[in-house]
Amino acid sequence: MKKVLAFLALLVIGAGIMSGCWSRKELNELAIVLGVGVDRTPDDQVQLTLQLARPSAFVGGGEARGREPATWVVSETGKTVLDAQRKLALRISRNIYWSHCVIAVVGEDAARSGIRRYISFFAQAPQPRETMWFLVARGKAGDILESRSILEKTSAQDIGFLARARTGYSVNFKDFLVMLATKGSNPIAARVEIIGRGVVPGAPAMEKSVEEEGPALTGTAVFRGETLAGWLDESETRGLLWLRGEVLKGIISIPSPAEPGKEMSIDIIRGRTIVKPRYDGESVWFDVEIIVEGDLLEQQSKDELPEREALEAIERAMAGEVEKKARLALEKAQAEFGADLFDFGVAFHRKYPKKWKEIKDRWNELFAGAEVRFSVEAHLRRSGLIAKRLTPRE
Amino acid sequence: MLEGGRIGARQAVFLMVSMVLPTAFLFVASVTSHLARQDGWISILLATLAALLIARLAVSLSLRFPGKTLFQFTEEILGRWPGKAVTLLYIWWYIHMNAEIVRQFGSFVVSAFMPETPIIFIELLITAIAAYAVRNGLEVFTRVNEIVLPLILGSVVIIIFLVTPEMNMKNLLPVFEYGAVPVIKGAVMPAAWMGEIVTMAVLIPYLSRAEEAHRIAAAATLITGFFLAVTQVIDIAIFGPEITAGWLFPALNEIRMIHLANYLERLEAIQMGIWVAGGLVKICVFYWAAALGSAQWLELKDYKPLVLPLGAILLAMSITLHDSILDLFDFLGRYWGPYALTIFIAGIPLLLLAVAAARGRGGSPG
Repeated sequence: MKKVLAFLALLVIGAGIMSGCWSRKELNELAIVLGVGVDRTPDDQVQLTLQLARPSAFVGGGEARGREPATWVVSETGKTVLDAQRKLALRISRNIYWSHCVIAVVGEDAARSGIRRYISFFAQAPQPRETMWFLVARGKAGDILESRSILEKTSAQDIGFLARARTGYSVNFKDFLVMLATKGSNPIAARVEIIGRGVVPGAPAMEKSVEEEGPALTGTAVFRGETLAGWLDESETRGLLWLRGEVLKGIISIPSPAEPGKEMSIDIIRGRTIVKPRYDGESVWFDVEIIVEGDLLEQQSKDELPEREALEAIERAMAGEVEKKARLALEKAQAEFGADLFDFGVAFHRKYPKKWKEIKDRWNELFAGAEVRFSVEAHLRRSGLIAKRLTPRE
Repeated sequence: MLEGGRIGARQAVFLMVSMVLPTAFLFVASVTSHLARQDGWISILLATLAALLIARLAVSLSLRFPGKTLFQFTEEILGRWPGKAVTLLYIWWYIHMNAEIVRQFGSFVVSAFMPETPIIFIELLITAIAAYAVRNGLEVFTRVNEIVLPLILGSVVIIIFLVTPEMNMKNLLPVFEYGAVPVIKGAVMPAAWMGEIVTMAVLIPYLSRAEEAHRIAAAATLITGFFLAVTQVIDIAIFGPEITAGWLFPALNEIRMIHLANYLERLEAIQMGIWVAGGLVKICVFYWAAALGSAQWLELKDYKPLVLPLGAILLAMSITLHDSILDLFDFLGRYWGPYALTIFIAGIPLLLLAVAAARGRGGSPG
């Protein structure tokens, strides 16, 4: 009898406790944020733009649903990000849910006025994740989130895939935080802007073809401390990638050594960068060693590939091109921004910890005056599927 | 006998690891990186050395008095009333420490996963389960731990492999940038944490073979130290010292970084599992020690009637000790190390050993 009573009591208590968790999140009660944009309004407030998923558009893949927009973009201003979110909650029928946010975009004005106050929420609140892509918009971040994607369901996912392809310099939020917190390092992030991307052909005899505009990663946003100092374009971003020793994908185009005016393109297979800080008691300089390997995949000229001399000439040209790009980025960093974008300070810190203590507070000035010596080694490994040129011999 | 259970050597090692690791895994990296920066792993190694000495001390002391717990032989060494006074201090320490642990447990679950849930609800659940386990005796939660700990260590190892792509070992350089002082400062808190191995002095009478106690304590300390050092290295390699020191739970952020092939990600549930299962065993050990100690202090025949009242005290203290998680962390980072180390982990055992040797109490150490 006692046991039966105890069992019943357990059932009653269990029913009370187990009927649901306190902090449960049901999918149909959530407004899932896919992308977030933070801008600074002219009166120094925070403008928060959210791209929310419309779950019904994600169900199934039928043609009928193809025209239904997959996102809903809402925007509101407030004193802080959370203040703006609170105002947004007044007109969003579901709980705003951050954990699946793919991208965070900060507007140009906000970045120029000091980025820290605009991003602290994303590091401190438990929901947003450190793995989301972090980008700086040319112009307003809100415009980026209001764009559409042709290939993907949403523009946030579109930008996420672009960042993941790592053709430019893309950072996730954790990387950005680390760069922001480390002395001897200045944060950088991918630049995103809306450009004309292509043409969407209309259905036959019904509509005209439409020029499509969409987001694209067009370079790199460069910070000095926590304020946006300027931009690097695509070409300078290549140099930045070489100097930071990031995993590279891409093409090196060089003039043909044999036939001036014609070009050849080499697909980069792998590259490696070794930065050696040097200090002799007075001045600081850096020896930068870059090793690049590639496959020749296109040639407008008629160079005889199997000839060693021709190969070496091409490799020299590759090395020269890499160094040119790297110098381009370096010059811009030293002369225009006066900011160490390549973590040279971090390398110096690791090698000369004692000296670092004296100079860490004026590192950017020292960096701007430091000499950098390049030695680039290039290897042409393969030539696609062709051994000899396809043009007839004269 | 108050406690009829007997546990084997492997069970004891597992229990002693679970007594330290689950919470330390989550919290220690933040404090050590704050003080010792990228050299935090050296702090952990130092702390492991210190804990080995403490284990040696506690076990040597305990082995002089076969079949007696810390709460009993203290009276034998110091005499009845001084002994009772010191024992009371230890009972207080076990209750206080456990209240802090219950609070850490609740704070983590609430901060990271269930912000709307009242913290007392989570703490009530864990305390109730612990009370049930403790009433059933040492052998019961020891056996639970035999299932739990391999799962915990297994998931930690898997996590370590999954985060390797995020790591940059150069973050550990330069070594000894700020000299030895910060490294030693950084070692205090982990040493206090790992020094909880002093609980061996309560556990030894219930080992099936007491002569293995030295090996058990050393093995448990080394396992704990190894996992803590590895965690520290990983956190620094991923986040660098500045960011690691900034997180409340670096190990949680570490797991959040896992994303493989756009598919294997969001594995915090594992962390939650480690925390809940391991935290439960940890709470059980100290809860049991407090209950057993109180019963021996009051010279009762059974400790079971004390379990529920102790649980109520535990819960009440865990709520009232700190206003916020920030206060909790400030206390743990600044005061807990010196407080626990100087008095309970090293101070009193040293004193007891000295007095016992001087007065010729107890047999020779085994």
